[in-house]
Amino acid sequence: MTRSLLRTIVGRKGSFLGTAGVTLAAVVVVAVVLVIVHGLRPGRNPSIGGQPMLDGVSGAVWLLGGVGAIVIGALAGSYDVAQGTMRYLVLTGVRRIGMYVARTVALVAAVLLALVPALVLGLVLVFVLPSEPEAHVNASEVGDVVWTCILWPTVFAVIAMGIGSLLRSNGAAVAISLFFAFAAAPLLGLVSAASETLGNLMLLPALARVTGDNHGAPIAAAGLAVVAWVALFWCAGAVRISRDEY
Amino acid sequence: MSASEPIIRLAGVTKRFGRTVAVDDVTIDVPRGRCLGWLGPNGSGKTTLIRCMLGLARVSAGTIEVRGRAVPRDVREALAGVGAIVEEPRFYPYLSGRRNLEVMAGFVGHEAFGRIDAALERVELTGAAGTAVKKYSLGMRQRLGVARSLLTDPELLILDEPSNGLDPAGMAEFRRMIRSFVEEDGRTVFISSHLLDEVEKIADDIAIVQTGSLVAQGTVAELVAGGATAVRVRVDEPDRARAVLGALRFVTGVHASEPRTLDISLERVDDESSMALTRALVESGIGVAEVVQRRESLEERFLEITRGSEPRPQAEEGPS
Repeated sequence: MTRSLLRTIVGRKGSFLGTAGVTLAAVVVVAVVLVIVHGLRPGRNPSIGGQPMLDGVSGAVWLLGGVGAIVIGALAGSYDVAQGTMRYLVLTGVRRIGMYVARTVALVAAVLLALVPALVLGLVLVFVLPSEPEAHVNASEVGDVVWTCILWPTVFAVIAMGIGSLLRSNGAAVAISLFFAFAAAPLLGLVSAASETLGNLMLLPALARVTGDNHGAPIAAAGLAVVAWVALFWCAGAVRISRDEY
Repeated sequence: MSASEPIIRLAGVTKRFGRTVAVDDVTIDVPRGRCLGWLGPNGSGKTTLIRCMLGLARVSAGTIEVRGRAVPRDVREALAGVGAIVEEPRFYPYLSGRRNLEVMAGFVGHEAFGRIDAALERVELTGAAGTAVKKYSLGMRQRLGVARSLLTDPELLILDEPSNGLDPAGMAEFRRMIRSFVEEDGRTVFISSHLLDEVEKIADDIAIVQTGSLVAQGTVAELVAGGATAVRVRVDEPDRARAVLGALRFVTGVHASEPRTLDISLERVDDESSMALTRALVESGIGVAEVVQRRESLEERFLEITRGSEPRPQAEEGPS
C-alpha cells in the first residue's frame, strides 16, 4: 500500500520532479555564482567549495526544498478526495487510518527522494570545488546541514498533508499550507512577547532549536513541541479521513 | 452463507441530508447470480443508496447486509468480494491504465496483481494498458473502471450508471460484457441507470425508485404486464361493458378512452385473459368490434409508475 501511494505521489511530476529539479538547479546556480565571484575577486572570495558552498546548499535546499515539500505534502493530503479516487481506495476495504499512516510514510519517502539529488550534488561540490583551509568543513557541520535540510521540509510536508486532508481542493490545500508556513507560523513567534517560555515552544523556534540553534527551550522540550505541532495537523487530517463520506 | 440467500439485503434503509430525504425506507433483497437494474430518474437517490451499501456513506436508519455481512460494521469483509463503479470511474490521469490497476492492487492484496492482465484482457484494454489514462476516451475509462472492479474477483459488481457517455457500439459491447459476468462467471450485477432501454436489455430484474422510495420491483415481464392499459376493446355498449368487465376478478381497472373504446388493466396480459373477457362481453350480449392486446414498453410503464398516477403493479414479491 505504501509503495502504491508513493507511486501516486512521485507520479505527480509537476510537484515531485519540479521540487527535485528546482533544488538541483538552485545548487548548480549557487556553484556558478561562487565560481563567478571567485573569478572576479579571488582575494576577497578565495574559496568556492567548503563553507561558502555548504551555506549556499543549505539555503537553497532548505528554502526551495521546503516550498516544494509543502506542495507535495498538500497534494498528498488533498488529491485523492479532489480527484475522486479516494472512494475507490476506501472501497478496497483497507482501514482508513492505516491508509493515512501509509500515505504519511510514502510522503516522507517522496520528500527525501526529491531532495536527495540536490543534497548529494551540493555536498560533492562542497568537497570537490577548491577552498582555503579556513573554509574547510567537518563532518559535524555537514551533518547539521543535512539534518536541517531534511527535517524542515519533512515537518512542513507532513503538516501540509494534514491541512490537505482537511480540504477537498488542491489549490486551497497548497495555498493554505504555504500561508501557514510563511505567514502564520512566523506570526506565532509573537507569543514570545507575552511569554518567552511559550514562545520558544512555537513551531519555528522549536524547529530551529532541534536543528542546531543554541538558544531557546531545552532540546528535549523543543523536540516534543515539534512533534506536538506535527501531530496537531496530522491528527486533524486523520479524523477527517476517518469520518468523511465519499 | 448459502447460495439461496440474497447477496444484498436492505431493510428500511433511509438516508437524510439535513431535511432532505435522499433514500426513503428502502427494503429489498437482491438474489445471487442475476442482474438487477436499479432504475430511477436523475436525483432519485440511486447513487446515495449505492454509497450507503458500500460503506462510503452512513445510513440515517435501517440495516444493510452485503454478502451476509453488516455494513458498515463489517464493511471490510463485505467489500472483499465486491467490485464497484460509483458515479463515474476516477483514476490518476497521469498514470497509465496498468499503473492505475497496480496502485489499486497494492491496496487489495498480493493476489490482485496476478489478476491485472486478465482484467485488462476482459475489458479489451490490453493494447492501451501502457497509455496514460488522461488520453483515454470515456468509454475506455468506463472499461478500465470495470477492470479495476475485477481485481477483487468479486461475486458482486455494483455499477452506477456505467454506460453513461458511451456511443451505441460501446453500449452494445458493454451489455455483452455485463451479461457475460452474470451468465458465464455467475456473478451478481447490481446496475443503476436512468437509461430504461439499456436496463431492459441487461437486467433480469428491475427495481424502480423515485424520490428515494422503491415504487416497483419485479422481472421486466412482470412490470410491463402490470401496466394500466393491457387490453383495448371497441364495443357497442360501453357503459354496460364497463359494468361487466368490472365484475371480472382478473380485471384491475377499466377506463373509457374514446366514446366506444375501453382500456382495460389486467393482472396479467395473456391470451387466456383476453379470451375470457371477450367471452364475458359476448355472453352478456355486447357487440365486440375489436380486441387488441397492448403491451406497454418498459419506458411507458416506468413513466406511468414514476408519475405516480396509477396503482402499484401486482408483481411486488421481489425478484426471484
